[in-house]
Amino acid sequence: MRAADTLQGALELLILKSLAHQPNHGFGITLHVQTVSDGLLRVEEGSLYPALHRMEKQKLLRGEWRKTENGRQARWYSLTPAGRKRLADVEDRWTSLAKGVQRLLRFA
Amino acid sequence: MRLPWNRREREWQDEIDSHLAMREERNRASGMAEEAARQSARRQFGSRLRAYENVRSVHISRWFDDILQDARIAARGFRKSPALAIVAVATIAVGVGASTSIFGVVDPLLFRHLPYPEDDQLVSIGYFGPVDNNEFNVVASYLDWRAQQKVFQSMTSMRAGAQCDMLAGDTPERLSCQAVESNWLRTLGMKPAIGRDFTPEDDQPRAPLVGLISYALWQRRYGGGEKVLGRSVTIDDAPVKIVGVLPKDFEMPQLGSADLLLPEQLDPARPRAANAGSFLRTFARLREGVTIGQARVAMQPIFERTADLDTPRELRKEVRLVVRSLRERQIHEVKLASWMLLGAVMALLLLVCANVANLLLARAAARRRELAVRTAIGAGRWRLVRQMLTESLVLAIAGGVAGCGAGWILLRIFVGLAPEGLLRVDRTGFDARTLLFALAASIAAAVLFGAVPALERPRAEWLAGARIAGAARTLFRRVLVAAQVAISLVLLTGASLFVRSFWKLQNEPLGFQPERLTAASFTLRRQRYQTAGMQDAFFRRLEQRLQAIPASGLFALSDSIPPRGSMGRPYSNIRIAGHPPVASGGGMVEFRWVTPGYFRAMGIPIISGRAFEETERRSGPSPVILSAAMARRMFGNENPVGRQLDLDLQDEWCPIVGVAADTRNNGLTETEPEYYRLRMDTATLPRSGVALFRTSVDPATLARFIRAEFARIDSTLPVKIESMETRVGGFREQPRFVALLVALFAAFAVLLAAVGLYGVLSFLVAQQTQEIGVRMALGARPRDIVLQVQRYAGLWTALGSLVGLAGSLAAARMVKGLLFGVSPFDPVSLIAAIGILGATAFLAAWVPSRRASRVDPMLALRYE
Repeated sequence: MRAADTLQGALELLILKSLAHQPNHGFGITLHVQTVSDGLLRVEEGSLYPALHRMEKQKLLRGEWRKTENGRQARWYSLTPAGRKRLADVEDRWTSLAKGVQRLLRFA
Repeated sequence: MRLPWNRREREWQDEIDSHLAMREERNRASGMAEEAARQSARRQFGSRLRAYENVRSVHISRWFDDILQDARIAARGFRKSPALAIVAVATIAVGVGASTSIFGVVDPLLFRHLPYPEDDQLVSIGYFGPVDNNEFNVVASYLDWRAQQKVFQSMTSMRAGAQCDMLAGDTPERLSCQAVESNWLRTLGMKPAIGRDFTPEDDQPRAPLVGLISYALWQRRYGGGEKVLGRSVTIDDAPVKIVGVLPKDFEMPQLGSADLLLPEQLDPARPRAANAGSFLRTFARLREGVTIGQARVAMQPIFERTADLDTPRELRKEVRLVVRSLRERQIHEVKLASWMLLGAVMALLLLVCANVANLLLARAAARRRELAVRTAIGAGRWRLVRQMLTESLVLAIAGGVAGCGAGWILLRIFVGLAPEGLLRVDRTGFDARTLLFALAASIAAAVLFGAVPALERPRAEWLAGARIAGAARTLFRRVLVAAQVAISLVLLTGASLFVRSFWKLQNEPLGFQPERLTAASFTLRRQRYQTAGMQDAFFRRLEQRLQAIPASGLFALSDSIPPRGSMGRPYSNIRIAGHPPVASGGGMVEFRWVTPGYFRAMGIPIISGRAFEETERRSGPSPVILSAAMARRMFGNENPVGRQLDLDLQDEWCPIVGVAADTRNNGLTETEPEYYRLRMDTATLPRSGVALFRTSVDPATLARFIRAEFARIDSTLPVKIESMETRVGGFREQPRFVALLVALFAAFAVLLAAVGLYGVLSFLVAQQTQEIGVRMALGARPRDIVLQVQRYAGLWTALGSLVGLAGSLAAARMVKGLLFGVSPFDPVSLIAAIGILGATAFLAAWVPSRRASRVDPMLALRYE
């Protein structure tokens, strides 16, 4: 997460992207980010929940209490249509930003 | 906190816990020991509390959260010292209650819109002269004004004061009937509730009579049915067709009652002189964008032209044009009283704030340590200020709610006590505006009394719990007490002025004796008594019959009676035989037609010459009796008896036979010059009459006799019977009401100031226990200690009194117009006020000073 920490909106992107294929709970999101990024990225768990609640309030996510496969109660989040749209936007922005940074690095 | 948030808050917590549980499970699955798995999960998560707080702040704004917390802390604090909270809430309730009820009373008078659309465009316009207290008009002038004016959308008029008799079945009912122009309702911006408005055709001279009845009459007489439209009723012996009903809340702009409106039917074809003697009230609606000042300027030349034509030459110089807002016309008599009451009650509210501030300051001193601790553990300064403000707000709102209840009750009481005219009872009530005022008053009070203790910056020393006196703080409290003393002195002075003024009024000799005197008033209808002969016959028979009532005692007949004025005559119309004409100007004098028994019945002494005699009534010119004031004015120190007067510029010379003592004949406070003429058998008299009886017969029995005799002569004639004391009492109602209210406020004020003084002194004594102990150990006597505390109290009371004295004098000057027989700088009132205040202050200081003198030196020194 250290890398992402410096860039605004990174946490939001990680959450949105994690939920793009299937609904998940907070802990699941943490694991998913860690696994998919091969341990390069880590979500700071303490800031995850405020972010989830804020995004739910912005109607990007929808949350509901459901059982996990282990039979434990957890709050599951899924993307709303607005969330999907936001993901597309943020993804675009990140890609172009990443491209720009890459070129800059190559030039130097 | 037990609020709806509760379940949601638990869920936020649960979600975090479930995260930790899953992580722990996973840790265990990867082979960690149970304890290590939990520790690691927690470490990785970071502060659960912070995460929870952050989630919470997504949902609940910080601001609201803090307010709730503050309120909780405040409530807890007040539960711990309920006495303080109760005293504070009760004090605020008194202040808010009193001010809210007075606001409810004066709001319709001073601030609220009049019940007409665009009410600020409505004006009252007319001549103002010595004839009446309000502006009036005459038909001839009005017709010119209406035709020539360019500043009004419309002008409208009504005939001044009229009553009529409606006959339905056998009992005649006296109604207030107002003859108005056909555009009356339209000018005011009103429409009939049902039926139609007057049309210009209805207003043509000699058009068939139609009428609009009041909503109340409609409900009472006709049960509110549509069938009333088109019905014919007999009004003053003429048929009138009802064509409409006035709106429910309709109000006449001059505030008179109106059961029935009839068309005025002004006749421009009558000779100008006839139309110049016919009186009107005129109102108008300003054109868009025209101010009252502009209208006055525009109307001035028109006024000058008609005034030359239509006012009697001798009065011409005394009339002027008046154009003023309708509100001014309606409330000018009670405006001063209303503002004064509002001012008094606001002073009371201020006093309440000072008192509560004082209470809170005492409390703040006691909890400095708590504040210092909270500061030390990181509470921001602003946070603490807000905490204190929230506490005062909690108090203020509790007090405000209680105050609304108190205000409602007080308002009921005021409405019950208030004289007609001061309160517009029908429009006085508790509504959103009054409640809003109560809320605003409570919150303003909270800010006022909450800000003082809140602005104290906590100091580190307080942590030690040291009893550091905080000199500035106690100084502030003493100044606060002095301010309270000052405000209560102002209120007390006001109260003693009004009470004294009322007492004078009550004991003012009227010049006649109202005890055991009964008056029966009536007015003959023009339609029924068309010829002078019919009128004369009525009066002759009436006198015979009424005199024959058993034990009628002293009996007399007049056309009007004091303390109300008569329809006066211009002074300049009177000539003295052998003298040059009286100079023009000189205003009006009172005049009544009386029977010989008048002076004995009224109890007015004849101070020179003699009273009228029965034998004089048969023939010759009617003799005259002057009042003392009149005799002085016309003849100076000469004896007027035996001189001749021509009273109406008609060369009819009447002998002066006597001089009667002065009476209060223009309200209870004023004596106008007056003359009396004997009611001659040969003269035609006014159609209004008052029969007077001075007798010890039970008033109810007498009234029955009187009614029976009237009914025998004319059963359709309504008669109003009242005791003279009731009549006179009516004139005292407003001063009594004002005196009562101000005295009530002053009593509250003194009580509050006493509580304030007591509080401060008790606090000081408690704080100086140690010092007092040392002094006593060194040989001070208890008396010295008492004196020390009393001197203290005396100093601050005296300082407050000085300021209050200045305030009293300023305030008294403003209410001069409400005082009778008492100078605004009346020393008796001032001394009484200072005396009451001083005595109360002494009592308030007594208990704490006694307590100080009983301090046990040994205990005091061991204190702490």
